[in-house]
Amino acid sequence: MKLLTNSRLLRPLLLLRRQRSHDAKAEAPIPRRPVPTSAQLDDMERNVVRRHHKNNVPLIRSLIQEAEAGDQDKLKQLDVELEQLPNTTHPRLQDYGEEPRELAQYVHRVLPPESSFKEFSELARALNLYRMDHLGNYTGHKSYYLTGQLATLEQAIIQYALQVVTDHGFKLISVPDILPKEVIESCGMRTEGERTQVYKLDNGQCLSGTSEMALAGFFANKLLTEEELPLKVTAVSRCYRAETSGLHEEKGIYRVHQFTKVEMFAICTEQQSEAELEEFKNIEVDLFRRLGLNFRLLDMPPCELGAPAYQKYDIEAWMPGRQMWGEISSCSNCTDYQARRLGIRYRRSSDGQILNAHTINGTATAIPRLLIALLESNQRGDAIEIPAVLRPFMDGQELITRNKRIPETKLVKFIKA
Amino acid sequence: MLSFRNVLKNCLSARKTYSRNISALYITGDKANENYVTLQPYLDFKETFRDRQSLEQSIASRGLDIRLESVLSKYEKYGRHHDQLAKVSEEREEVTKRLKELTKSGGRAEQLEELKERGKALRNDLKTLKQTLYPIEDDFIHDYLHLPNRLHDQCPTGGEEKLLYRNGLPKSDNKAGSHLHRQDLLHFVDNNRYYMMEQAAHFDVNAMQSLARYFVNHGDFIQTANPDFVRCVLLEANATPLTDYHLVQEEHLQNKINTAFLTGGGSFESYLGAMTKLCVYPSVLPLRYVCCGRSYNRAEAELYGPTSSLYTATQTNAVQSFVATQTAQEADAQLEHILNLAIDFYKALDIPFRVVYASAEVLTPAESLRAVLEVYAPSLQRYVCVGRISNYGDFVSKRILFSTRREKHYDFLHLVGGPVLYTSRLIAALLEHGVRLEDCKLLGATSQKPTHQQDLQQFKDLFT
Repeated sequence: MKLLTNSRLLRPLLLLRRQRSHDAKAEAPIPRRPVPTSAQLDDMERNVVRRHHKNNVPLIRSLIQEAEAGDQDKLKQLDVELEQLPNTTHPRLQDYGEEPRELAQYVHRVLPPESSFKEFSELARALNLYRMDHLGNYTGHKSYYLTGQLATLEQAIIQYALQVVTDHGFKLISVPDILPKEVIESCGMRTEGERTQVYKLDNGQCLSGTSEMALAGFFANKLLTEEELPLKVTAVSRCYRAETSGLHEEKGIYRVHQFTKVEMFAICTEQQSEAELEEFKNIEVDLFRRLGLNFRLLDMPPCELGAPAYQKYDIEAWMPGRQMWGEISSCSNCTDYQARRLGIRYRRSSDGQILNAHTINGTATAIPRLLIALLESNQRGDAIEIPAVLRPFMDGQELITRNKRIPETKLVKFIKA
Repeated sequence: MLSFRNVLKNCLSARKTYSRNISALYITGDKANENYVTLQPYLDFKETFRDRQSLEQSIASRGLDIRLESVLSKYEKYGRHHDQLAKVSEEREEVTKRLKELTKSGGRAEQLEELKERGKALRNDLKTLKQTLYPIEDDFIHDYLHLPNRLHDQCPTGGEEKLLYRNGLPKSDNKAGSHLHRQDLLHFVDNNRYYMMEQAAHFDVNAMQSLARYFVNHGDFIQTANPDFVRCVLLEANATPLTDYHLVQEEHLQNKINTAFLTGGGSFESYLGAMTKLCVYPSVLPLRYVCCGRSYNRAEAELYGPTSSLYTATQTNAVQSFVATQTAQEADAQLEHILNLAIDFYKALDIPFRVVYASAEVLTPAESLRAVLEVYAPSLQRYVCVGRISNYGDFVSKRILFSTRREKHYDFLHLVGGPVLYTSRLIAALLEHGVRLEDCKLLGATSQKPTHQQDLQQFKDLFT
């Protein structure tokens, strides 16, 4: 990319920015991005359009013009608009169009194409292991209870995932679920607006949507050494999402407001990040392969990347009860998009120069959809077979069966005094 | 100064009685148009006022600012109006019935007209009476809902807790360093935000999972996973102070007075959602549940301050117990059962801990007895709560209509439960006692050794 050529014109603007940058250093010592050139703006606009992102490049252009004309008040607005831009996109994805590219299919069990497979909620309800009905007024919209072996299975999955990722050198961290909104916004999530996915609390703080936010926040404003990288961490957390869905295919626990997830997160150098993403992908593939699921690996097109990702893989499991592919995992390379906003940097060993790090995030296991895939794929008549890798965490149990000690959902309307 | 004292007194009494101007738990007919009635609690006036002395004693021992006399006079007024309403309603029904009969048998026109007029007058009377009754009902029922549960015989009164069990004694040497110094294991930002690393993070997950498994395998409990939000109506039913939890601001809230609170799935209140209006067969009783989950309770932050630490933090991993029984005796037995399991677990950790019955004035109005599991925190030089098991009798069940059917009537279930572990506080105490977390013996932990079948599977995996 070309550097600023019209710097003579923009000199007062730059000086002012430098000054402001210096003032702001005490609270957020994040190096500011230079004002983009016209050619860069063209690139940005192409990228924004390809990613189906809100196109604010025309506004950025006019703000630059106004700033150049001397209206220095526009600088703040320019900053805000530049922050709204998505990350750049991996060149590989440029001719993908709008469809993901299927890289591989992993078939670990032969399933009859059309059969009597039951859907998760029907299965779990028949086994008395799950409840989601008539709860809205008491525990909220789309809330759910898992009972008996299904609740035990949730904990078993967490232990299994932790064992796998810690074996790959990820360090476990306990993370907070309540975060200041600045941390969440720095990760590329909006906290305001009609369709925000972020819950807010009475104290103005927000509920984390994924532990990636808390983990990124943990390393905010940290200066690491190159030797420490790649720095790989994992967390088990509750994830809160305000989004809702009325789609039939997303019924039941497919899309819920609260769930448990084991997340992987890595901080690395620019040179390491592509290989690191491949490692994340391989760990995910291995995790689901050992669970015996049928799944496919997708390379996501630009319009599916969200704002922070430079490239992203999704894993979709075959859910035979629903007869559909459902996303159970993904991993993204955010390059320096988050690190720049959060001030996660490292000192290069060769010359001591301080650089923005790159961040990678990926799902090890997100419980509800994994439960759907596991239960629907492992139906054995009236029971569910527990995958062999999970049995050691379930005291050797091999089958999930109906539990008669759990009461059925029989509700009264009122009881007369 | 005087006015300041008054303000303070008012604040404190408001806190003590947990009063709210509007309740999600009881909505009178005139407000039911704007506010959806989600639950009609079973209001057992007779039973509540049966033994006035014990109720009076419960109010006094808890230090609640409630005048029973005034509630009773409101009850009397409510009863009078209610009876009058019932009388008029009955008379009106009688008139309707006679009118029907006369029309059928071809009664005189004058007689029919007279009855019609009478019916109209009674309808108007009824309407007026209802309008008069609403504020009287509102006033009385809200006071009624603030009345506390009776105290259990075992519950100590007079400000002193009662020691039930003790294991080890705190060393009387100098004050130990705070766990906050362990920056290799802990990064503490504030009460809402902290991180635990390395062995502390592993202990955080393992201790929770192990204890839950111990309850399942050795206590015959059924494991569950629960939702994290609980709506106001259930917090009111459980007489939980609303300040204990953060309010969640929802974008499209349909019922404005029934807001959601972030309790965490590891909270007692979270269980109530699944029990509301539930009628179970006696064969499933005693119903014993245990769960792993988060708890976001900020009730005790002040108690272990002023310095913020893991002892005062809002978020923690928790193991929550919940038991429903048919009788009070069974409830007592189940509380003991939970305590025994918990004692096994803490004993294996080998740090000073004790179990006490909390004194009446710290109980919430719904609790009749509370046993507190406490570990010794060297930096605070006091015991801190890592769990608490409460007996609620049938107080909460009546409000949420949790029952079992016995012949033709409903028996409300007796509830016992509470958190048996708060991992963050336990970790803090263990660190201050100089315990290496990786060396802790956790009852209920799985042996991580792979089975023969596992070995075989892994071998097979090599070729797939």
